[in-house]
Amino acid sequence: MRKKILFVIIVLLAAVLLSGCTGSTTWFGLSVSGDVAYLANNTAVHAVDVKTGAELWSFSGEKSTGFSFGKSPKLFDVSPVVTADGLVVIPSSGNDHAMFAVNPKDLSADKIPVPTIVWKFSGAKGHWIAVPLIIGERLFAPNSDGNIYVLDLSDGKSVKTPIQTIEPFKDSAGNGKPERLWSQPASDGKRLYVTSLDHSVFAIDLETYKVVWHADLSGAIPGSPVLGPDGMLYVGSYAKQLEKFDPATGKHEAVVDTKGWIWGTPVVDGDNLYFGDVASGVGGYFYSYNTKTGKLNGEPIKLDSGITASPLVLSDGHILVATETGKLYAIDASGSAVWFEPANAKSKAYTTPVSTGDSVLVSYIESDYYLIALDNVGHKKWTFPAGK
Amino acid sequence: MKNTSNKIQTPEPQQAQQLPQGFSTETLKTVAVVGLLILAFTNWSVVIGIMVNAMIFIYRVVGHNFGIAIILFTILIRVITWPLNAQQMKGATAMQDMQNDKEWQAIQKKYAKDKEKLAQEQMRVYREKGINPFGSCLPTLIQFPILFALIPTITYAIGSTPLSLLKLSSYAYEIQHVTSLLPLNSKFLWMDLGLPERTLLFGLSIPVLAIIVGLTTFVQTKLTMPPPSGDSNDQAAQTSKMMGIYMPVMLFFFSLNYASGLAVYFITSNLLAIVQYSMMGKVNWRNLLPGGQKQDQKKK
Repeated sequence: MRKKILFVIIVLLAAVLLSGCTGSTTWFGLSVSGDVAYLANNTAVHAVDVKTGAELWSFSGEKSTGFSFGKSPKLFDVSPVVTADGLVVIPSSGNDHAMFAVNPKDLSADKIPVPTIVWKFSGAKGHWIAVPLIIGERLFAPNSDGNIYVLDLSDGKSVKTPIQTIEPFKDSAGNGKPERLWSQPASDGKRLYVTSLDHSVFAIDLETYKVVWHADLSGAIPGSPVLGPDGMLYVGSYAKQLEKFDPATGKHEAVVDTKGWIWGTPVVDGDNLYFGDVASGVGGYFYSYNTKTGKLNGEPIKLDSGITASPLVLSDGHILVATETGKLYAIDASGSAVWFEPANAKSKAYTTPVSTGDSVLVSYIESDYYLIALDNVGHKKWTFPAGK
Repeated sequence: MKNTSNKIQTPEPQQAQQLPQGFSTETLKTVAVVGLLILAFTNWSVVIGIMVNAMIFIYRVVGHNFGIAIILFTILIRVITWPLNAQQMKGATAMQDMQNDKEWQAIQKKYAKDKEKLAQEQMRVYREKGINPFGSCLPTLIQFPILFALIPTITYAIGSTPLSLLKLSSYAYEIQHVTSLLPLNSKFLWMDLGLPERTLLFGLSIPVLAIIVGLTTFVQTKLTMPPPSGDSNDQAAQTSKMMGIYMPVMLFFFSLNYASGLAVYFITSNLLAIVQYSMMGKVNWRNLLPGGQKQDQKKK
């Protein structure tokens, strides 16, 4: 009997090993609104007080009732967004493909309070990876299944029945519509600009929901498009180029050749765009591009490892860059690192840091802490421990 | 000493004599296997890199069909590990035959109360009959790095999350020119290989692939289960019996929640194992019938 029990234990351990041998499968989502940061650390979304690091509430999906055959655990790794009414919209990257809106003003009496679910949308067929975009009373949520779900923020229902999705189009390969929409769209109020992992950039009219133009870049686009100070649309891709689009026509040209694949979304600061790349086997490079002159502000700066996160412009004008190995660089206008925060040995920083005014929040995976708050010169203020 | 079982081979005496005293060929094999394992696990990213690039290469060759790529990749792994599997089966059969060996049974009875003496006698019989008690374990151990690397390889190649796609890009060799290739097309038949599979049947969402994984694992373990020895305390037979129950259940639940690309790998691997065992004449079809094993036992 003891041997049987031992055997069962070994088999279970093997199952755990088999499940876990891929290591971390995602990086965390992080956003901030007012004095609250929202950390999506796979198992739950934690609301954290940005001043103290205290956990205000936690949400890990609906309570399961009994054995749910075929349903997988929920997985939260998309940065939550906050509506004008204060609801927190939380997409789940689990196999339930659900999206929740929770009310943080209506909390349970648990030790760590849980917000009530105001609505739940479960009409998508793929994983939620992209951060949804709020425009007025509507939520535009791109999904890995290739659809952009347009939801009414008041009740989470689609604005039309059946579910309103963006009209499909034929790409150069004859496929009906792009797939794997992984990034938050950009909008100028009239159009929605969407990028796809399947090399597509397209503009959608927000009145008609029709595709106005479509372009095919020769590489995947994991980051969002960004509207520059010159009114142009900028997109980075695996094709190792930063492309400039005319948002009216979709006409585009490459303005920067990079050394590696561009992952993160470029960030606008005055006339400049900042972005990083992942140069396989080399590390990562930081670029500063002047939209006015159409040239780089100096040579790309080589950092120790790849840059998947978008840079963050600090209140003192410095630019904070997080690299894959977890190191943080604050770079000044001349391209020098003014301070440098070494991470603990194993941690990795893939998520874009956020600023809360007097603090910078950085999220790590494979670390003793999931979140660290630093002041504007890189001194630690508090940490949010791992394992929550 | 005369061999009491026709199936058990005696060793080549001159092999052991050429080695330094205290060293047998089996010791050398064990040292080599341990060395290989250390080499593999200390260069883990190299192992995964080779496999990821093999997968990408096959994907390109077969016209961007990831399902076919997984199947061909599984066949490739099976072919590479074929000699090891064959050796493992040979070792397992020898150990199984040993259970029916009269001398073996005699010492089991004689030293039932003296475990130390029993162990010494068992080792003596193993030596005399040229059987390595780890003969079925070592080939399995060599396969461990490949098996452990398979899951991340397929997971990265599917690239269904940003991190797995990033890892795929970091493992891909420059000569592969994967920029235009990524993301890999994960559609195969009715499935998205990056997602757990569900098929709508009669209004119900049925995990067809996970069920097939469970069934093929059950059939494979049943078919390849060695016939039981007369010994009611035969631990190998008990272990096999339990494997036949737990493995299908474990892989079924695993396939329920993970990318269906992994389920495609499990099914292909199970079917190939049945084919390999059949070709070696080791498949016991009677095991599939209720009470089939008992009939085998009676015949013995």
